[in-house]
Order: sequence, then structure tokens, then C-alpha cells
Amino acid sequence: MQELTKLKDELKKINAEYAGIKDVPAEKRGEFGRVLNEKKNAILAKIAEAEEALNDAAVEPIDITAPCGPNEKLPNVYSTFEGSSHPLMAELDRVTSIYQMMGFDVVESRQLDDEFHMFDSLNFAKEHPARDGYDTFRTEEGLIPPAHTSTMQHRVLKMYKHNLDEGKDIAVVVPGRVYRNEDVDATHEHTFYQCEGVYVSKTCTMGDMLGILREFFEKYYEQKLNIRTQPGYFPFTEPSLEFMIEKPKSLGGKKGDFLEMLGCGMIHPNVLKMAGIDPTEYHGFAWGGGIDRLVMLRYGLKDVRNFEAGNLNFLKEF
Amino acid sequence: MLISLNWLKKYVNIKISDEDLVRLIGARLVEVEGVIDESTKYNNIYVVRVEKAEKIPETHLTLCQINSGESELIQVVCGAPNVREGMLAAWIAPGAIVPASVHEDAPFVIGKRKMLGKYESNGMLAGADELDFGDDHSGIVEINPDIAKPGDLLADVFELNDKILEIENKSLTHRPDTFGIIGFAREVAGILNQKFVENNFDVNKNIDNNIKIEIDNNICGRYSAVVLKKHGEMKKKYLSWQDTILAKSGMRPVEPIVDATNYLMLLTGQPLHAFDYDKFLVVGGSDKPKINVRLARSGEKLVLLDDKEVELNENDIVICSNDTPVALAGAMGGKSTAIDENTRNIIIESATFSLYNLRKTQMAHGIFSEAITRFTKGQPAYQTLAVAEQCAGMLSDGFEIAAEADEYPTPAKENVVKISANEINSLLGTNYTETAIKTTLENVGFKVTGNFEIEAPKWRTDIHIKEDIIEEIGRLNGYDNINPTLPKHGTAEPNKALKLKSEIRDTMRRFGANEVLTYSFVSEKLLEKSGLDAKNSYKIVNSISPELQLVRQSIVPSLLDKAFVNQKIPYNEFALYEINKVYQKEWGMDSENVPVEKSRMGMVLAERKTVGTAYYKAKYFVERLLAELNIKPEFKPLSVNAPEAKPFEKKRAAEIYAGEDLIGIVGEFKNKVRNNFKLAEFLAGFELDFDKLVELAKPTREVNIVSEKEKRDLTVATNKTYKELTEKIKKILAENNVEAEISPVSIYQPDNSDVKNISVHLEFAEKIDDQLMAKLEAI
Repeated sequence: MQELTKLKDELKKINAEYAGIKDVPAEKRGEFGRVLNEKKNAILAKIAEAEEALNDAAVEPIDITAPCGPNEKLPNVYSTFEGSSHPLMAELDRVTSIYQMMGFDVVESRQLDDEFHMFDSLNFAKEHPARDGYDTFRTEEGLIPPAHTSTMQHRVLKMYKHNLDEGKDIAVVVPGRVYRNEDVDATHEHTFYQCEGVYVSKTCTMGDMLGILREFFEKYYEQKLNIRTQPGYFPFTEPSLEFMIEKPKSLGGKKGDFLEMLGCGMIHPNVLKMAGIDPTEYHGFAWGGGIDRLVMLRYGLKDVRNFEAGNLNFLKEF
Repeated sequence: MLISLNWLKKYVNIKISDEDLVRLIGARLVEVEGVIDESTKYNNIYVVRVEKAEKIPETHLTLCQINSGESELIQVVCGAPNVREGMLAAWIAPGAIVPASVHEDAPFVIGKRKMLGKYESNGMLAGADELDFGDDHSGIVEINPDIAKPGDLLADVFELNDKILEIENKSLTHRPDTFGIIGFAREVAGILNQKFVENNFDVNKNIDNNIKIEIDNNICGRYSAVVLKKHGEMKKKYLSWQDTILAKSGMRPVEPIVDATNYLMLLTGQPLHAFDYDKFLVVGGSDKPKINVRLARSGEKLVLLDDKEVELNENDIVICSNDTPVALAGAMGGKSTAIDENTRNIIIESATFSLYNLRKTQMAHGIFSEAITRFTKGQPAYQTLAVAEQCAGMLSDGFEIAAEADEYPTPAKENVVKISANEINSLLGTNYTETAIKTTLENVGFKVTGNFEIEAPKWRTDIHIKEDIIEEIGRLNGYDNINPTLPKHGTAEPNKALKLKSEIRDTMRRFGANEVLTYSFVSEKLLEKSGLDAKNSYKIVNSISPELQLVRQSIVPSLLDKAFVNQKIPYNEFALYEINKVYQKEWGMDSENVPVEKSRMGMVLAERKTVGTAYYKAKYFVERLLAELNIKPEFKPLSVNAPEAKPFEKKRAAEIYAGEDLIGIVGEFKNKVRNNFKLAEFLAGFELDFDKLVELAKPTREVNIVSEKEKRDLTVATNKTYKELTEKIKKILAENNVEAEISPVSIYQPDNSDVKNISVHLEFAEKIDDQLMAKLEAI
């Protein structure tokens, strides 16, 4: 307290010194002001520090082992009716459990990765314009908050390669958060969720890929669905496809109303090779698609921005 | 990219409905984003002859009598300076919509009206802009009498009843050959299972040495140049079918030379550029053209056709006359060699450039033209000279070829792939016969020998490996014809972390807490407000805004931010939590040389009108949650200095231990932090190390139902902590070989006293005697 009084007195003195400027020759006034300002700022910082210390000193310590404060009621949790789970997380749970039922292991995706996993290991040529299609963010170090969960493909291929040696298949899904540098509006978010799938064996075919995907969406929407594909282009799959489903009737879909759900294709031999898997002996397929869209469709949500807004008006609906 | 179906149909015989065609293109070639139906856009617009044209005195108007093929002439007032007797014009009849306005909210319907109070005007004679063929508003369009007569529908003469496909370019990134109508049509023939009839352009190849071309290594695959000399005036400019194609493809007709280069680009995919030959010589200071293709030097500047001066960088490819840059290769020509109405001689450039350099040029200078879009797909080099010669042919009215040059340092090799029908079928899951496979490939220009040695056509620079051929077979025959099957596969391993998250989510929901998701990127200000050091965050260099510049180090600061949002709504009490990943620079890199990643669970509870110690409520949440995971926590004074501990007030927060492991921090926040976030007094939270929880959580909880025999309440006056007291009680019970469950009842502390009266409730598993109680009460 004394310390603070002393500092405040000093500040008063400095403030008074400013008046002396009229006695300083014009050419030296700049220098005079600068020195004085420096002094003043130093004192102000010390005052702030002292005030904070004083504030902190005023904080009452508590018995951190006690169940409650003296003369206070024992605490309780809130009413169950107020609780909610985030719809994206709840649906991601559903998605992964369906894949698990179908025999897929689950590995979570990273949220900060490098150029190698995001592009190089996925057969993107260095500097290739295809890299631009992903609108990636980059850190000062050149790290990348991944723009797709495919950033995990190389890792899971290596991680599960032993399955192949043991005569089993690789079957993994990778849910995770991804990032794109794009403007946010009702249908676009810079932060969203995807789920990747990877399957490798000696005998799997594109027919198997289409079968697995149809099976998943039929389980997810709990009904028979019509599927459709269109050619796509991804450097890490060859051939590459976009996979579509006819919008389920129960969700207001009409005949011929097809929705793009994900990108997929047969894993490019270079991607397998880079992970140490012989592409002449094994082949595989992979897919990746957004979760946000699935959830919006399921709940009839119109504005993707609600997901990350942290507003209880929205969250308490779930 | 826009594709006119009428134009497409000139190159491929289409017998199915437009609807089916669009569906097939979507399924087998590329995503069709939309179809613009122009089949009624030119309704009630006729070719007419202006029979009489009289100037209306003291106005710019002309009173015209037009012949629309009917016996009676129709009167129209026209404001265009070029209207004259005998010309064929386009007449928008009364009641028709002006084509340029069809997509507007209120399309403009032409009527019958009185001009200047006395001249009746029926409909209008249209200019190119009104017909949606460009921006030209200088006069009305004139139609060539060789191709039309009065009364013809304009739409019939120029094939305007059309449908335009909007193509999503992205999925053709690897198919530069489809960025011209010929290449697109070839694919359409392929998906319709027809043999495409190639349009081979003849090449004269009268190469002479009058033009010198020099190319710096590897930045330009091939450079062909054709010099044209003017031999007469270009014929009178009628509205042409070619103009309408440019307009339908999203480009605007401007003048004959530029139009010819643009038209050929839309036709073949090969962009062209025209230089004024004489200006080119002047700029370079040479008597014969010396074309030098090189990388720009740092600091060099170039004024482009749009009058903008750009500062070139060392990645930009420039076309130079001698050594002076005259064009930014692939992107835009320079002002100094632009063609104009006085141009006598032209150099037509037809070249390919390194797509890598052009991609950077595109980004650096923000040029996104039709030409550079094609170049950055990597145009094949085989047709540059042929297309330049085609351009000469289109301008033959006024120009003739004077010289040709062609620099092609490393001609492309043939791409040959060997593959068997079995390899194709076993990857696709199909049963295509060898004959079917052969036909599919030959339809689109592949040469197939044996079973199979496949040579890709010269425009298919993307064919290298077996999978490329497999894609062709699967795609051209339709992936939809592949039968979906399910592979036989084993069972999955459970994922402990995922299961735990799911359990926590259920538990927290039961506890009335609300799960939120917040961005992984935060602002420097948010970290500052929470007392964290921004330097410990990875920083995004191309962030959307300063609000999203730093990768978060901890979950709690984001939750404090959201607590403010919700307290303001207002919600009087809530607990927000999130389980997500965080990064701190000080953690360094992991074994894969990517930043160490940790999962954290954060929670913040905030109440607006409550008085009391929020710490205990947060602690209670932790205890209840950890009990569900079968983890027994211990609360110790907060002393760690980790970034995530920074927002917490040391005197009112605790470290949470499970055995030897520090698993998190719980507590109230510093006054300063609370004020920074403008939150009400009752505020606390925790941050748990989720990775540790995964490690420590036990799958099954021992449920110990005490068959309680006796209950007692015990009140002790003490200045010890609660823990010290309960430890002491436990000790005495152990000494007496008695087991009991201890739960708190209340803590009472009279004003001005250090001594607390702590009451606990004891449930014994057996009968006890009063002696034991006496011992306990004596503590």
C-alpha cells in the first residue's frame, strides 16, 4: 500500500515536470518530452503491477480440499434437462459406430500437420496447381491445419500395414476437424468436420467401395437409398469419383434430387508405394466427406455457422 | 466453363434427350453445375430488311419502315447511327423480351409506343448488347443477306435455341484436352459409345528463319509463331455465328483478330495471343522479330493491355522482343505491342508454358482469364502450330501468312501402357470383354494392339499408368454400371479414447452441462485476456482475420469467451465444456516431426446472480465426472506454471492428481481474467488432460453397495482443512478396524472466528459402539 502511494506521488511529480517544457529551447523540446514520457510509462507500468499485486493480495485463499465454503450449501450439478451434447459430436459418434459395426477401426485425425502428409504423401506434385484447390492455412513454420482428413492416409497405411502381413485387410476410418481458408456464410465454414475411410486388400474392387459406401449411408439414414457417382479428380486416387445419394424421402427429398456426399476412389499406386505397400500385390480405396452436411441434412439445419458459435439458444436444442 | 449444346452437337451425333445427355455427362465426364435454358430467349425476334429510313429532323432518330416477311411494312423508330435502307437487321417484335434482360428480376418487354408524340414505333431494331452478344452499343447489328431473309427467326439463323451447360472445372484439373469443344465432344462421343470423328487440322509447316525464337530452359514447352501481313480490308462486319458462340461461352466479341483467337481457344483449348508485328520490332529495336521467352528479372515492370502496370517477379514468364518484355506469358499481353485499327502485320503466338510458373503468376497478379485457366491445366503441345495456322485461315479476308516459326525443344514422347483385361476388371469389379475395352478406348483416340498395349493419343498428357487406363474404362462405360458389393472383412478394434469421449458426453449431459465447439484459431487478444503468451502459439500467416490468427494452446480461454456470449443472452447459469486438441510451441515436435498434439477437456461454469465460492461447484463437477471414469482425484495447491494454468487464481484453484499423475487444474479465475471477459463474479472451470484420462480411466467401476448398518453424524470444531480432518477420521476408523463411508454435511464458521464446525455423515458397515464415536468427537 505504501509502495503504491509512493509510486503515485512520483507520477504526480512527473506530471508536474511537463510544465517545465516552456523553459526548454524549442530544438530540445522533442528530446525532453520523449525522456519524460518514458519515465511516465515506466511508473504507470509499476503502478499497474502494484495495483494488481494488491488486488491479488486481497483475494481470500480457500480450503481447496473442502466440499464447500464455510456457511455455504453443498454444491450440486445442474438439472439434466439443461444439459446438451453438440450435434456434430453426437453424429460423429453415430458415424464411427456404424463404421465400427462394419469392421472399421477408428483413428482420429490431427489438427496441425505438415506439407508432407497433407500433399506430398498423397501424390500431389510439388507446386502443382491442384494444391490450390484446398485453400489451406499455413503457419509461419509452413505447418498446415489440414484441409482434409486425407492428411492421415499415409499414417494409417503405415500404422496398419502389419494387417496385410498377417493376411488381414486394412479397414480404417478417420474422423477429424479440418480447415479451409474461405469466407464464412450460411453454407460455408472455415472449420468443419470430415470422415475419411481407407480400405486395402489383395482383392478389393471399386464395386466393394460402392457397396461399403451405400451400406454406410443406408445405415446412417436407416432406409434403402439410390446411389449415383460422377467422375472427379484427386491426385491421390485413380480413378476418382464423387459419390451421391438420392435425398431420402423422409428428409423431404424428391426423385432425382441427388446430393454429393463425398469424394472417393481407388488409392493411387504411388500413395501405397510411399507407405511401403506393394501396389502390384495390394490395392485399395479411400473416401472422405463432410460431417456437417450430414448433420444439417438430418436435422434440417440451415446455417452451418451455428455449430461453432457456442450459443446456448442453439445448443440446448440437442 | 460454359458449353453450348448446339455447338457440341456439331461434333458428335447425339440421339438421346438433352436431359439424358446432361445426366450422362455428369455421371461419366464432369459435374454439370447447371443448365441454362436459352430455348425461348430469342422468341419473337426476326430478321427484317429496312426498306425505308428517313431522318427525323432535329433528332438523332430515324423513322424506318421494315419488312418482316409479311406483306405490310412495319414502322419502327431507331436511334442507331448505322441504320440505313437495304440492310438486314434484327427486330424485337412487340411483346418480346429483350434477350439481355431475360435473367433479370423484371425482364424488359418491348412494346408499341409513340415517340415524340407522333411517331408510332413497333418493337425495336436491336444492337449486339440488347441481344446479349456483347457490350457493343454503337449501333444495331447487321445480318449477312447470304444467310438470312426477312421474316426468318433470328434464333433459326444463328441456332440460338440452345442449352448451355455450366461445367465445374475443378474435376477436369488433369484434363486440359477437354477445355475446348472438340476435346469435350470427343469425350461425349466416348460416353455415348461412338467413335469420335477427328478434325485434323492440316499443317503447312512452311517454317523459315525470318523469326528467331529463344526459350530459357523448361519454362515453355513449345512456341509457335505465325506472322500475318495485311493484304486488304477485313470484310464488313456482320453479326456472325461465331459471335454468338463467343457470347454463349461467356466471352464477348470485340474485334476480328481477338475474336478469332478467342474462338479458336474455345474450339481447341489452345490459347493464342496476337502482337502488332511492327510495334514488336520497334520495342525490340530489331529488323526481324526476335522472340525471347525467359523468366522476368526482379524489378522489371510491364504495362498490360488493361493499362495496369505490374511489377514482375522472378517466377513470371515473359515474352520479350529481343530483351524487352512485351507480354506476361499465358496471362496477358502488353500495351506496347497491342493490336489496333492501324495494325498492318500481326504475330500470332501459340505456345505452352510451365503450369507451375503460371500458377504462381496467376496468384501474384490476380489474373484469372479463360486463357490462364487453360494454361494452368498444362495444355498439350502437339497442336500449337496447327491452331496458329487455323487463326491465319480465319483472318484470310484481310491477312496472309508471311512467315512461320516453331520452337519445340523436347517433343513429347508417346505414352504407352501395358495392361490386361483381367487387371482392369479385377480393380473395377466388372466383366468387360477384351473387345468392349478395345472399342471404348479406340472411340476416344487410343491405339490398342494385342491384349493390350495401349498408346495414348497425343492430347492425353495425363495417361501414364495402368490405373489411368482403368479410369477410362470405368468412367466411359459408367461407374454406375458397377455392381456394389461388400467385401468379407473381420471385426474392428474398439477405440478407447472415442469410447471415453462418448461416455463423458453422456455424463456431462446428465450433469446439465452443455457441449460446445469453438475454433482452433484464436486471437492474440484472447490469449492476452487469459494471461497466456501469444509467442507460444503457432501463428497462421494467411489467417482470415486477426481473430483467427493463433493456434490455441488451451481450451479454457475459448470457453470464457463463449461464457460471455451466453451470460449476455442472458442465461443465469450454465456449464460449457469442450473436448478438443491443443498445441503449444514449447512442446516441440513429435517423432514424425510434426507438433506435439494434446487432447484436453475444458469446462467453464458461470452464474449471474449467485453468491458463493464457484471453485467448489467446479470441483464437484470434476469429482462426479472422474467418479464415472473410476478415477479417484486428489486436490493439491496450484503451483505449476504451465500456460493452461495462467488464467487460474492460485489461491482459489487446485491441481488435480490421480495417484502420481497430474491430470488437470480446477479453480476460479484471476480477477483480472474475469474482468477482461466481463463475466459475473461466480465463475470457475477446469482443464483436464484428456490423454491422461484415456490412460487412467477404468472400463468397469466397482460398485460398492454398503449394506449400511448404522448412520451417524459427526461435527468437529477445527481449524484444519477438510482433507486433514477426514484423513484423521479415517485413521481412527482404521485403528478400530471399522469401515465407513464419509460424506460432507456442512461447514459452519461463525463470524470473527478461525474455527470451523465441520459436519460429516458416516455410514458404517457394522454396528459400532459409542466409544468409537467418543473418540471421533474428541478429534
